[in-house]
Amino acid sequence: MQVYAKPKSIKENSSFTFCSGCDHGLALKLVASVIDELDIQQDTIAVASSGCSVFLYNFLEVDCIESPHGRACAVATGVKRAHKARNNDKIVFTYQGDGDFASIGLGESIHSALRGENITAICINNTNYGMTGGQLGPTTAMGQITTTSPTGRNREYHGFPIKTAEHIALCEGTAFSARVALYDIKNIYNAKNMIKKAFEYQKKGLGFSFVEILSSCPTNWKLSPSDSHKKIKEELTKVYPLKVFKDVLNG
Amino acid sequence: MSEKELLKGNIAIAASALNSGCECYFGYPITPQTEIGEYLSYEMQKRNLAYVCAESEIAAINMALGAASTGAKVMTSSSSCAVSLMQEAISYACCDELPIVIVNVMRAGPGQGYIYPSQGDYNQSTKGGGNGDYQVIVLSPSSVQECVDLTSRAFYLAQKYRNPVILLADGMLGQMAEPAIIDCNKYEEIDNSSWRLDGAKNRPAREIHSLEPSQLKLNQHILNLKKKYDLIENSEVDYEEYMTDDADIIITAFGTMGRCAKEVVNHYRMQGVKMGLFRPITLYPFPLIRLRELSYRVKTFIDIEMNLGQMLKDVQLAILSNASVAFVGKPVGDWLKKEEMIEAIDNIIKEQYAGIR
Ligand SMILES: Cc1ncc(C[n+]2csc(CCOP(=O)(O)OP(=O)(O)O)c2C)c(N)n1
Ligand code: SF4
Ligand SMILES: [Mg+2]
Repeated sequence: MQVYAKPKSIKENSSFTFCSGCDHGLALKLVASVIDELDIQQDTIAVASSGCSVFLYNFLEVDCIESPHGRACAVATGVKRAHKARNNDKIVFTYQGDGDFASIGLGESIHSALRGENITAICINNTNYGMTGGQLGPTTAMGQITTTSPTGRNREYHGFPIKTAEHIALCEGTAFSARVALYDIKNIYNAKNMIKKAFEYQKKGLGFSFVEILSSCPTNWKLSPSDSHKKIKEELTKVYPLKVFKDVLNG
Repeated sequence: MSEKELLKGNIAIAASALNSGCECYFGYPITPQTEIGEYLSYEMQKRNLAYVCAESEIAAINMALGAASTGAKVMTSSSSCAVSLMQEAISYACCDELPIVIVNVMRAGPGQGYIYPSQGDYNQSTKGGGNGDYQVIVLSPSSVQECVDLTSRAFYLAQKYRNPVILLADGMLGQMAEPAIIDCNKYEEIDNSSWRLDGAKNRPAREIHSLEPSQLKLNQHILNLKKKYDLIENSEVDYEEYMTDDADIIITAFGTMGRCAKEVVNHYRMQGVKMGLFRPITLYPFPLIRLRELSYRVKTFIDIEMNLGQMLKDVQLAILSNASVAFVGKPVGDWLKKEEMIEAIDNIIKEQYAGIR
């Protein structure tokens, strides 16, 4: 069993309030350790979104504003631009669910990427609206059962899911877009490297950087944490390949 | 600067915003206010300030929300049906206590309506178009000079009370040119170092949020906001009175209608009728107490609006005496003409005083 040291950017005396075995906690820890490693804790402003991650500010020791559902990239744009107008370059990132980023907020997300907004967006893709109890969302896979697709997602009723990282990669203002997962140690290390790269690209001023994290939602999937990871590895990665889709510094 | 120039209302608002220290503007085009964004696109880029052609009004107001959290002076502008799209974030901004100046150059509604000038957004602005218990400060200019002055005041009040402020103009004022002076900004700077988000350097991290699962805390926060609104109601009320000191009849009207009504007062004064005008400049806080004082010695109030009688409800609420309240208005079309108003008022006077004569 791997033991992680608590990153400095995680609040002292805080403990995650996510369901046990939920990947949100691990993803946040990775973000926090990247903030530590890049030594940007004092210069970073986080934008929380509506969803299971809304209490970001209870866990991270960085300045944080909560955004209305879906508007995180617009709020982050405002934070970033306002500091820039005062010649302060702050690191600004959003931490959003798949519903937040790719459904209700798709317009704000895509347009931030198109503008090449120099921010980082982390999107937790758990293939459902977790916070509201696991309804069909923009990333729910074909055939997947949710509380609003009781017989499974099908083309006739629901149409198709969105491949977010691929779409973001198509935007000219995007500097970096990748999809990662957290189902084993190797992938966790890779996820951390990708998150770090995304923040580094922002530091370098290269444009919009995006990491989609295929994550488990054991509660709404009604699976154990380990079976949830198995589902990601064996089923979801076939629909949502783990890949770097755009990297302006490496072809 | 400091010299009278011929200015269109929209340009006056934009130029005054810059003069008041506006650092960030986010907007999406809609007639009849588009010149504000056009003017600022050039002027702000020149000064390396933040300007984004947002993809929608929803994005624009949320960019404003983020920018305001840094303590910057922030403005967005729009018109009626598009201001409707901003209501969710305005409710957040009130809860988060973020200073944003929102200019609404009203057009006719409901829905898309049309670009005719109208005053149909009084209720939305003063009563809140979004969810929950909140109040936005609402300022109502009636001349191009007031567009300049109240834009400055809007930035000041937003910072002072950490609250959104709506400058509620209308299409007539936005498009009309008049001589006006853009003077140096007379308001003091407000220190926001205790709450702005600028990175947790040598201090604990800060958070700005509206979600609050603790019933106790949520309740307390809303009660604290109420205290702030009470303070605003006690300190920031503003209005204009014109020949009200001996008036038997008082016209109540706001914005452009207020200025048109002055002509009507002049007409009746010439005929020996003791008429006056009461024009609220702050629509929230509404000058309820002063109106109530006046009502004890005035026989008749005539409320004139370019809508179906929205401020009328506030006027009625203010009046506790036996004074009667009549309404003259129409929602859309040509702006109410002086002759139309006089005809309507003649009839009201005839009815009201029929018994006395
Ligand atoms: C405008 C608006 N619509 C709906 C909601 C209710 N709501 C809160 S979170 C959420 C879905 C969150 O799903 P996702 O973004 O995927 O995050 P997750 O909880 O799965 O991490 C919804 C629908 C809301 N808060 N605001
Ligand atoms: S509902 Fe799902 S996403 Fe939300 S905390 Fe629980 S497991 Fe995690
Ligand atoms: Mg989700």
